[in-house]
Amino acid sequence: MRISTIAFANLKRRKGKAVFLTIGIAIGIGTAVALLSLSTSIKEEIGSQLDRFGANIVVVPQSNSLSLDYGGLSVSSVSFDVKQLKNEDAKNVLDIEFRNRISNVSPKLLGAVGVEGREVLLAGVDFESELTLKRWWHIAGRKPEGDQELLVGYEVARALSLIEPTSAAAEQHVSHGGSHQSGEDQFQFKIVRDRVKIADREHPVAGVISQTGGPEDQMIFGPLAHVQALLNKPGQLSLIEVSALCKDCPIEDIVAQISQRLPHAKVSAIQQSVRARSETVERLTRFSAVVAAVVLAIGGLMIFTTMMGSVIERTKEIGVLRAIGFRRAHIIKGLMIEVATISLLGGLLGWATGLLASWVALPYFAETRVVFEFQPMLAIVAVLAGLIIGTLSSFYPIVRASRLDPSEAVRYV
Amino acid sequence: MPFITIEKVTKVYQANGESASVRVLTDVSAEIAEGEFVCLMGPSGSGKSTLLTIVGAMNRPSEGRVLVDEIDVYALGDERRADFRREYLGFVFQQHHLMPYLNAIENAMLPLATSSESSKWKRERAMASLEKVGLADKASRLPNQLSGGEQGRLAIARAIVNEPPLILADEPTGSLDTKTGREVMEVFLSLNALGQTVFMVTHNSENSALANRIINIVDGRIAE
Repeated sequence: MRISTIAFANLKRRKGKAVFLTIGIAIGIGTAVALLSLSTSIKEEIGSQLDRFGANIVVVPQSNSLSLDYGGLSVSSVSFDVKQLKNEDAKNVLDIEFRNRISNVSPKLLGAVGVEGREVLLAGVDFESELTLKRWWHIAGRKPEGDQELLVGYEVARALSLIEPTSAAAEQHVSHGGSHQSGEDQFQFKIVRDRVKIADREHPVAGVISQTGGPEDQMIFGPLAHVQALLNKPGQLSLIEVSALCKDCPIEDIVAQISQRLPHAKVSAIQQSVRARSETVERLTRFSAVVAAVVLAIGGLMIFTTMMGSVIERTKEIGVLRAIGFRRAHIIKGLMIEVATISLLGGLLGWATGLLASWVALPYFAETRVVFEFQPMLAIVAVLAGLIIGTLSSFYPIVRASRLDPSEAVRYV
Repeated sequence: MPFITIEKVTKVYQANGESASVRVLTDVSAEIAEGEFVCLMGPSGSGKSTLLTIVGAMNRPSEGRVLVDEIDVYALGDERRADFRREYLGFVFQQHHLMPYLNAIENAMLPLATSSESSKWKRERAMASLEKVGLADKASRLPNQLSGGEQGRLAIARAIVNEPPLILADEPTGSLDTKTGREVMEVFLSLNALGQTVFMVTHNSENSALANRIINIVDGRIAE
């Protein structure tokens, strides 16, 4: 017989209480594990979505500009020594060391063209990468596929009478991008004309972008090569938008690497976008941590109350042990073995149920399918957290028990 | 040299948060020789049990001191006093205070739980002590599967498993009928016959008649 024999016999004797405490710890740890797993998964998803949601790096041609002031009057800045961006530069962006952090490269050529008597900004884009980048675009019609097919911005389409207001045009709705797909979305217009004349040539209109309130409302988008030909700028680009996966990467390093690769270009990070992403992710993490801490604190209080009750209930027993020669340290050891066993089981059970709960709950919180992986570190942390909470919450009741006066304790009954 | 020396022991209980105090023992002095069987008698509330717990190194006196085998018990620190209880004393309580979730041999083995000796050694010692009280055949029974007398004997087995030189008993037959009470007393007598010192609190004059000596205590003082 050892002190542990008494501890385990006691646990066996007080099965109900042991199970109750184990479940209590398991609920606390399970909730924390579930929240952390959920927040980690959602964080991953939000991060990835945000990273794919838009460009966070813009590459434009390098130029020197001069602000002029003449006789107190400001004159528009004058640009000179303008370098050109070429199609190859878009490919070169993907040659940097951090290329695996780059999720999208979208080259563009911009130019003003006359469209049926109006001056309109025409953008040549690679539709595949452009539509991946602009996931918030809702397109009435379809995605352009032919080498001359256009996407027309809402205001331009309205001005050119390509659309008419309606509330019953849902059947034309093709929402682009998985996360934006919704059958309930209603376009307030319908396409009434699917051809437009640019530079005296008829172009088919594949779709109209619903109103975004952004610059695209005033633009027409066409295939890059076709627009380059129309604007007589073969192989030239006005800018390159780059989307980097930057949840935890230093965007400055990517900017530096692109700058090094394209010395004739000016590369800028859209810091606001990056900051917004990290703030969103941080807020979610903080929220989960606070909720987990509150749940664990409640669990700790429950353990404290139960252990206090248990010590009072076992006053006589502890007094007898002290009377027959158990040191305070022996009493503490015995009770600690009980608490540690319960906490260990609770931690393991909590980890397992937490993972299971987050696995079940995740589809309701996240849109993408997240694959769960066995995380040994999470298991270790969960069990350790269970042990720490159990031990800390029981510390005072256990020390109090060890200080019981044996003569008083024995007389207690 | 006496084995136990009780020297001018006074015990005053102070009620929590109150100025009133209760004087339970006043200037109690006594000596008990090694191998003696001494009964402590007196009416209820006379301070018998208090004196027993003071001798049992569990209840610090307000004044005076207790020496057992020339050790000033209350000069020891708290943990050393626990060691002293384990090595020198076997305590038998009136209500026996057996652990209901441990069987007879495990209850008998309880004072050995803190020892670093092997489980086999502990088991042998516990079995020997059960044999001394005639319970060897009931080693695997839980306390609630034993009769009152058997429970009393098991409490004695637990008290003697360490082979302590002194056995302290607080009305060990108080909760037993006459027949089973006699059984328990016979165990004490046989242990005393083997040289063990027994200091017992009792109300029962039949029991005290079996002792070598009786100390009477009235209103917290030794009665002449």
